[in-house]
Amino acid sequence: MSKSVTLKEKYPPGDFAIWIIIYVELVTFGLLFAGYAFSRRSHIEMFNDSQLLLNQTSGFINTLILITSSYFVVKAVQSVTGMRQESIKESNLRASKWLLYAIMCGIAFLVIKFLEFYHIFGEGITLSTNKFFMFYLLLTVFHFMHVLLGSVILFNIYKKTRTEGYTPDDHRGFETGASYWHMVDLLWIVLFPLVYIIR
Amino acid sequence: MPNRKRTLEYVWIILVILTIFAYLLGYLKLIGTSLVGVLLLSTFIKGQLVIDHFMGLKTVKLKYRLIPTVWLGIVISLIAAAYYLPVAAVH
Repeated sequence: MSKSVTLKEKYPPGDFAIWIIIYVELVTFGLLFAGYAFSRRSHIEMFNDSQLLLNQTSGFINTLILITSSYFVVKAVQSVTGMRQESIKESNLRASKWLLYAIMCGIAFLVIKFLEFYHIFGEGITLSTNKFFMFYLLLTVFHFMHVLLGSVILFNIYKKTRTEGYTPDDHRGFETGASYWHMVDLLWIVLFPLVYIIR
Repeated sequence: MPNRKRTLEYVWIILVILTIFAYLLGYLKLIGTSLVGVLLLSTFIKGQLVIDHFMGLKTVKLKYRLIPTVWLGIVISLIAAAYYLPVAAVH
């Protein structure tokens, strides 16, 4: 009778401070998600009619983009966490390749979202149009800013990989940025069905 | 390592399939009272896969994994409650 024991890491990947930020962000968005859902109860028809102005296909494509970018970031993290002293150059190079794909996904997300905002604002819609668009703009613009910041963070990590800046003993900053990016993905995974699909 | 690598690919495929499922529910206008529950369950599964395999919390002490998992459970439950509870129950 043998019993397998999996040793758990003591702390989550990356700097612990990023996890405090992540937990605070999750709570903030969680309140907005709940606010949207409960406001909808009192204005179901208005929410359903307003939702028709959104482009579900662009929301769907953006979900695929973020999921795929997160996958690329995990592959990049694996490249640096699995590196040895003699493979620093190749590992950084491999990580930079995956990061570049992830950054391109981030830019694609931002462009698609920008076009969606352009269309929405072109229709004369603002925060005060109605409650649906108030929540829609609060949630999606706030999230857009997170993707923008996440892309800048990934780009800075990418630059460091190009100079072989990560070593077997020093890649915590890499994992910190990656954790932030996955949080952005997690938030969109809830936002997409809530705002674009459920009616 | 090879197993972990393959796991990531499987996770990505499941996430894509569940996203296509959500999109089709909306696109084909199939979303209704019963399917909202299924959609929310699939959203929980997607979120948990990201927490476990992308954020890497599956191999970390339980308390750190539980924080986002509990957050996800509460948020999904609140959305379900807002959708399913009779309107009079909250007024």
